Amino acid sequence: MNPALEVQTVSLSLGAFSLCDISFAVSPGEVFVILGPSGAGKSVLLEMIAGFHRPESGTITMAGREVTTFPPEARGIGLIFQDYALFPHMTVRGNVLFACRRDPGRAVSALSRLGLADLADRWPASLSGGEKQRVAVARALAMDPRLFLFDEPLSAQDARTRDLLRDELRGLLRQLGLPAVYVTHDQTEALVLADRLAVMNAGRLVQTGTPSEVFNAPSNEFVARFVGVETVLEGRIAAGSDGDVRVSLGTHDIHAVGDGASPRVLVCIRPENVVVARGMLADSSVRNQFPARVTSVSAQGPLFKIALDCGFPLAAYVTRQSFLELKLEQGSHVVAGFKATAVHLINRE
Amino acid sequence: MAVNRASRGMFLLFWLAGGLLIAFILLPLLQMAASQTPARLGRVIAMPDVRAAILLSLEAAFMTAALAGLLGVPLAYLLARLEFPGKSVVEAMVDVPLAIPHTVVGIALLFVFGRNGLIGGVVNRLTGFRFWGTAGGIVVAMLFVSAPYAVNAARVGFESVNVRLEKVARTLGVGPWGVFTQVTLPLAGRGIMTGLTLTFARSISEFGAVIVLSYFPMTAPVKIYDLFIQFGLNDSSAMAVVFLTVTLVLFILFRSLVRGRRRPHGRRWSPGRPTSLGHGQ
Repeated sequence: MNPALEVQTVSLSLGAFSLCDISFAVSPGEVFVILGPSGAGKSVLLEMIAGFHRPESGTITMAGREVTTFPPEARGIGLIFQDYALFPHMTVRGNVLFACRRDPGRAVSALSRLGLADLADRWPASLSGGEKQRVAVARALAMDPRLFLFDEPLSAQDARTRDLLRDELRGLLRQLGLPAVYVTHDQTEALVLADRLAVMNAGRLVQTGTPSEVFNAPSNEFVARFVGVETVLEGRIAAGSDGDVRVSLGTHDIHAVGDGASPRVLVCIRPENVVVARGMLADSSVRNQFPARVTSVSAQGPLFKIALDCGFPLAAYVTRQSFLELKLEQGSHVVAGFKATAVHLINRE
Repeated sequence: MAVNRASRGMFLLFWLAGGLLIAFILLPLLQMAASQTPARLGRVIAMPDVRAAILLSLEAAFMTAALAGLLGVPLAYLLARLEFPGKSVVEAMVDVPLAIPHTVVGIALLFVFGRNGLIGGVVNRLTGFRFWGTAGGIVVAMLFVSAPYAVNAARVGFESVNVRLEKVARTLGVGPWGVFTQVTLPLAGRGIMTGLTLTFARSISEFGAVIVLSYFPMTAPVKIYDLFIQFGLNDSSAMAVVFLTVTLVLFILFRSLVRGRRRPHGRRWSPGRPTSLGHGQ
């Protein structure tokens, strides 16, 4: 089966932005997230897929048909912008009718599919964020799209609304079963929504894979830091090869799993994989245990982020309950532990 | 903004200055209106050439606004949406008419639209139509001095339309013309109508450029000048009051039409309000 969307070695420079040799494919029904910092070129890439910019080289293919030179109106792509870009001079019904060449039957079916029948006569300015989101999706749906594109649709919402809309959107995307490319700078959105994702930086896709591949095994330091790996340290393989290795961090050695192919490595440890205890973790599979001192504590939503000094810097997340039970504060002496399998090694040179 | 004690003095002073300016605008007009007698107004209204002049002014200003819209709205859209080399020069060109004395405008236009002018001569030889001494000349003169208002206000109107709305509209299967007529134009409507209203107002008040290019047929300002030269202040001021009343009523009517479009349901949308998305709820 042909991919719903296939972008092949596409390059484009546009003012301050450039896209460099970008390739990826989206399968039918798949949600593909492009995750990257602002200025990475995500929106330019999305607008290029939608047909607003023509690539200088490379091709864009949709379901086996090349569309590289097609104008936006001939591509059948539903584009959902930040704040949803509803037409303010049309009612909800008017917005949807616009997309289906004034065919009332299709408008009604799109509206009812999104549960919007009761809102059909309302003006966009009177809708809540969630209602706007559904109207935007209904409008795109009325055009009978072959692909959805989302350009940071949640970035202007406050944190609470964002969580709600994100979950609603995930439900919608699963329910509709249409392929989608979703652009965001928010790693939580990427984790929640993506079937597969690509991390983008400075006009290039630097890593593509499933969320767990990218989040647990980042391919370079930029990806590691961007997907929330708090501890990234330079190390040297001290012993072992192919499997169980010991990595020297200078004063301390840690156990890790690696191929030992390169003597110099970057050690990546996600904070949620670090255990903090008051004493040594006896009889456990946690092979890396170090006495540590708490250097700072900060609240991160429902979790607390604990910065530790074990002779090397280490960051850990603990729940509120653990935080209270362990009576953690700056200067506390604790034991920090993490499994060898929680250490991801990136080979250097 | 809440006016607290500390800023009250400043606001008072600003009200005083603003009030003086408003009084300065209103006083001469009211004084002139107050010194008319019904009999004199009636006599002036009864003159056929006075009525013809006022009608001609309205017709020519209407034509001018239509032409300014036809030629100025596309330029306004280009200026609002595109960056191109020489854009600042084009912007300056649009504003040039504001800086030229209107008699100079009239003389310059004679060089192009006059008997031996580049356009005037050719058009006259081909069709027999003259720009000098006709309503055509009046419209040409009015258009030159009022076009900047149409272009600049329409441009502000277009700039207030979020470009994302146009992009989304394209992806929904509608081509560039459809998007322009169904999304951009209605949303920029208030800016465009404001521009055309200003164009109309500027055109109807034009005297200098018109009198050089086409003394005849007489527009209302020319006729008022003519009455003033021939018969003095009484008749000319009476016609001035009649003319002012007609134009002010039209002006107020236009403005309320532009502002007052209402929608039946929900939070109302008014044309041309900046559509910075997301501030709606």
